[in-house]
Amino acid sequence: MSLEILDPTHEFDARAFLPAKRLASLEGATVAIVSNGKKGTQPFFAAFEHELAARYGVARVVRLTKSNYSAPVEAELLNDAERWHALVAGVGD
Amino acid sequence: MTIAPGDARSVPAQRSKRYTVDDAIAAQEFFHARGWTDGLPVVPPTPGAVQACLDWVLMPAGQLVGIEPVRQRAITAEKLAVNAVMAGCLPMHFPVVVAAFTAMLREPFLLHGATASTGGCAVLIVVNGPVRNELGMSGTFNALASSDRASSVIGRAIRLILCNLLDARPGEVDRSTLGHPGKFSYCVAEDEEHTAWLPLAGERGVPPLASAVTVMAAGAPRQFMNEWTAQPEQILDTAVAEIKANMRNYSIWPGNYAIVLPPQLRAHFEATGWSKADVRRYIFENARVHRRDWAECGKGSVVGERGDREYAAFETAEDVLVVAAGGPAGGFGAVIPPWYGNKSRAVTLAIGACVDCNV
Repeated sequence: MSLEILDPTHEFDARAFLPAKRLASLEGATVAIVSNGKKGTQPFFAAFEHELAARYGVARVVRLTKSNYSAPVEAELLNDAERWHALVAGVGD
Repeated sequence: MTIAPGDARSVPAQRSKRYTVDDAIAAQEFFHARGWTDGLPVVPPTPGAVQACLDWVLMPAGQLVGIEPVRQRAITAEKLAVNAVMAGCLPMHFPVVVAAFTAMLREPFLLHGATASTGGCAVLIVVNGPVRNELGMSGTFNALASSDRASSVIGRAIRLILCNLLDARPGEVDRSTLGHPGKFSYCVAEDEEHTAWLPLAGERGVPPLASAVTVMAAGAPRQFMNEWTAQPEQILDTAVAEIKANMRNYSIWPGNYAIVLPPQLRAHFEATGWSKADVRRYIFENARVHRRDWAECGKGSVVGERGDREYAAFETAEDVLVVAAGGPAGGFGAVIPPWYGNKSRAVTLAIGACVDCNV
């Protein structure tokens, strides 16, 4: 006799993930980088910041760091988000 | 035709996708192949079995238990019940599962961090109150591992829920470097019958005679032994040494530590009139290390200029969770360390509390 069973996984409110709109160019842009706060992000993002300016002409890089690397970014850190053209969220260990 | 509670025909509210398999054996392979298990066999979650769990807690299938805050995932009673059945829960076990997961959704628990971290903790569930006896839970022999059916399946249900509802499978959201065996199931009922001490939930504000769960993002138990003294201070010095070892070798940051004390050691405290509050206070005052201690365990490179700085294992004495549990013989105890300091805090919640009831 066959058996009917239920799916145990999340399925009800899965929202499609929509990537942010791509920028045509980074020239003159302001780019924010949110670090999870781990030590390993420091040299990586320093190099990333340099590349953004040297290779892509980014005018300004805003470096942000979460206070708790296991928790979501604090809302107040994103207060100025409207002034940024792009935001990069990065993790390191 | 009479449709009884638990009958699949009475459950139109269930929304989970349904599959048809040949039999219970086929169901195993169906679930394993999709990564929906912890590697052990599961009970096939039929609509009827799931409905029986929902009926027990008087929850409609779609009842929102909470929303996981990071990924914004709605957690419904139905999905909790599906996973609870898979873990082997009977309907009577389900209220504890619901309470435990509800507690884990509280912000101080930091669910996403605790279940995704490389630190590899598991969710320790401490059960208090009359529900322990109703479910046949035992806080005595082998208290921290497969002591009884209810403890095993309740702890396992939490793990399956994390895997299947939050994708906390190894290598997916769960990024644990090592993990520990408690990830299969980590549930203990406090042995309230063999102590005059206040239950853990009572110490944390739950009224007497109410059942409750306390959840904690926890590392593996660190067992200690001292049966060569009757002095409470000396027994606790051994526990404190274990805490200090964890601070030096794992994480120096303060947080919740659970201290599990079986009867042989508890007898010395009770004979000398020590309460749980006394135990907590002594441990709080003495569990401290200096940064320079790191040099003794290979971490000298991070001592820096602050070698004399003192680090306490606890921010307050209330952060010490004292649990009476364990078999009757043996001068053993256990220190259960936090996942990562105070990033995640233990949460205590009454089971099935009704805010409108007049009882």
